[in-house]
Amino acid sequence: MLPLVAYTDKLSVAPGEALSVMVSSFGARQYRADLRRIIQGDTNPQGPGYKDQPVALDLGGSRAAVAKGFYPGSCVIIPGQGMLGDLRAFTLALAMRPSLIDGRESSLIALPGFARIGIDAAGCVFAEAFGTRLVISAAVALETWHIVSFSASAEGGLTLAVTCERDAASADIAPSLATATVQPSPCRADEVLIAATRGGDGRPAGFFDGKIDRPALFATDLSHEAVRRLLADFERLSRQRSLRAAWDFSQRMTTQVICDISPFHLDGRIHNAPARAMTGWQWKGQELDWKKRPDLYSAIHFHSTDVYDTGWEVDFTLTLPEDLPSGVYALRLVPDGVEEDAYYCVFALRPPRDRVTGNTVAFLFPTCSYLAYANHRLGMDVPGTEIGMGRVVEMDRHHMFLQTHPGIGLSVYEVHDDGSGVFHSSRLRPILDLQPKVKSFLGGFGSNIWQFNADTHVLGWLDAIGQGYDVITDEDLHAEGLRLLSRYNVVITGTHPEYHTRPMIEALQGFTDRGGRLMYLGGNGFYWVVSFNEDMPGIMECRRSEAGIRPWEPGHGQFHHAFTGEYGGLWRRNGRPPNHLCGVGMTSQGFDISEPYMLTPDAAEPRAAFIFEGLDCGAKIGDFGLAGGGAAGLEVDRADPAQGTPAHALVLASSVRHTDIYLMTPEDLLDPTPEWSGTQAEIIRADLTFFETEGGGAVFSTGSIAWAGSMAWNGYQNEIAAITTNVLRRFDDPRRFEMPRDRQS
Amino acid sequence: MSRYRIDRSDLAFAREFLADPIGYHSPGLQRVLNLMRGSGVAGAGEIPFKYVLVVEDRHGRWRLGRLPLRRGAPVELVEGVVYTDLIAAERDIFSRRWKDLTGDDLDQALSQP
Repeated sequence: MLPLVAYTDKLSVAPGEALSVMVSSFGARQYRADLRRIIQGDTNPQGPGYKDQPVALDLGGSRAAVAKGFYPGSCVIIPGQGMLGDLRAFTLALAMRPSLIDGRESSLIALPGFARIGIDAAGCVFAEAFGTRLVISAAVALETWHIVSFSASAEGGLTLAVTCERDAASADIAPSLATATVQPSPCRADEVLIAATRGGDGRPAGFFDGKIDRPALFATDLSHEAVRRLLADFERLSRQRSLRAAWDFSQRMTTQVICDISPFHLDGRIHNAPARAMTGWQWKGQELDWKKRPDLYSAIHFHSTDVYDTGWEVDFTLTLPEDLPSGVYALRLVPDGVEEDAYYCVFALRPPRDRVTGNTVAFLFPTCSYLAYANHRLGMDVPGTEIGMGRVVEMDRHHMFLQTHPGIGLSVYEVHDDGSGVFHSSRLRPILDLQPKVKSFLGGFGSNIWQFNADTHVLGWLDAIGQGYDVITDEDLHAEGLRLLSRYNVVITGTHPEYHTRPMIEALQGFTDRGGRLMYLGGNGFYWVVSFNEDMPGIMECRRSEAGIRPWEPGHGQFHHAFTGEYGGLWRRNGRPPNHLCGVGMTSQGFDISEPYMLTPDAAEPRAAFIFEGLDCGAKIGDFGLAGGGAAGLEVDRADPAQGTPAHALVLASSVRHTDIYLMTPEDLLDPTPEWSGTQAEIIRADLTFFETEGGGAVFSTGSIAWAGSMAWNGYQNEIAAITTNVLRRFDDPRRFEMPRDRQS
Repeated sequence: MSRYRIDRSDLAFAREFLADPIGYHSPGLQRVLNLMRGSGVAGAGEIPFKYVLVVEDRHGRWRLGRLPLRRGAPVELVEGVVYTDLIAAERDIFSRRWKDLTGDDLDQALSQP
């Protein structure tokens, strides 16, 4: 297990800027920190060997390791602002759609210390006030809307009522009722929590899993039928004289703000990023885009497993030296003197914001893809992962930690405990798989490393050939676009740059259109739409609509991102298939073994001569490697003019078979017949692709995640590394690439 | 959940797997592996755990573990089972799953005419 885990407040920092480090003990008593540049993180004895470089920087010696823990669970918190103290008669009301009953007691709405509505361990709605608890004996129905009201009269009459809205087509909906008579007392609560209450330690607790829509508080006792009528006409509710607050979740949905539509404006904020822009009680399929009918998207889906900001206190802050070269670095935290147990807080030292470094090559550190996979549990939560791996799941130490600490927060590959998809992933928490040395589930037989650690095969190659480079992150690219890319001749990707925002895609396309050179050294790149939120730095949204290999769907009518309103899913379905940018697009995946490429006649084209210069390649290249034993594998892309591959693109080499674990992507599997597998379907292949652009630029795409694992074979002495180096040398030469006259696109 | 049931007619696929656990497999062996590695047998319910290899020394030493289905539940280490070779681990786990799913000892079944 891990004696301590940690995170930094940023994944990208410039020289001279501060970086804060948050650490929690999980058994460690103390720790020491040092700074290291990460060169090559794979510890496979068949690989080039682990390599990092210590940076001489005093980080302050030994520190006490303090246990801080994880506190997942989302809710809404509304300060009372003095408007709750006069309550005697009242009605609390809301629409709710529970999605999980798991033996815990959860809260729907609470004025802590005064009144509360919740669902008990058996799934029955209860309400509490004045020391009395009412319970509806029938359990709620999962995934069904209910209207709940809880009223107290000035004389002490309590009424809890619940109607199940699936019965709404019947003539009369008879509410389930529970009543009592009590001695009223003044309200001492000064806040309202929705989907939680306050726990004994003062933190939000008792998190609800499910949707809540239009919660409201009235300063009088109302009948359930009146409540149901009022909630159904929410837009006119503000004229109701007894209304004290009514929270319209369909307002300001792209922010953390929760708006009270009453004249009191008891506004609040969400906590731990629940899913907004979700279909509400009144949604019946009338509209599929929340931007056109936000009133129908008045629900929030809360989860007891939501996480945004882990919120640990800062252990220490360092300032990155002005003269430290751009690169990938890690704060290495060694607990109790045991180097083997060190935790690595990895971050990118980007180039200075106000001046160029002189490097003409940039490595695009794919933080969006790292976030998408952050703390992923595919080999643990998804039984089919082992089928896709073609071998037994390996659980490294960080996986063992994840298994027993799910509160660290999920990746967008998981479902919440209620089975709904995880839309959000945040970097404001420890990301255990963003470390060197760690093994994974999907990296193929051999090194079995994935995302960041696999990308260090690229960093190690750059080091081995003595290439100077800057490191820029997805977030930098999102924020600065082509202004940042314009500093470089060449942009090199990681092995699996799968997730991109629109500004990132547009910047990269603008770069190659204007003469930039892109080396896409991976597979399944530029696949999913993701978005950031200006009100919530560090968190990313992904809604996997319709197609794509995906672990869940966002639910009917919920395909548009809450953060930006964009239609979620594949870039291919949003007018920007990856073939436009890099000539190839995702075609298949399998995580067992990889294959070589076979050269095609295009490899002999004079336009491609520079790629093979000095090499004596046979018909086959890359029949070796650390990622499944070949250069073509794990996730593979094909050239496809129908998806936008330029007509003049050269497919230099292709893999010609894969195991039957490799199957067709759903977006191409229009008619699922049994021949769509790796030993049968010609379309399942990796295409090594090159093309020039009208602006004098060029693109080289491997269409394979496994490529870098072959680059690292034999200490980077092999034809795959040599081909990649040839491409880099020519791409870094500012001479224009000319479009071929006979094969114009 | 799989509706497929493993029986003696799959012994040829067991031999195929034991000869070469990683890589290309016949469709019949792949079907056996899909059942063993997937989410269980329809009607018989989910297998309450999955065998996993708990890394003790990356690329060198693994313990056999049982990963429970419930998120957050600890992995149970199988006492005394240590592997120093991934291929050997694949073969041993295949045999254990054969026993779990058929009730038969694979070595004995293979040795019978």
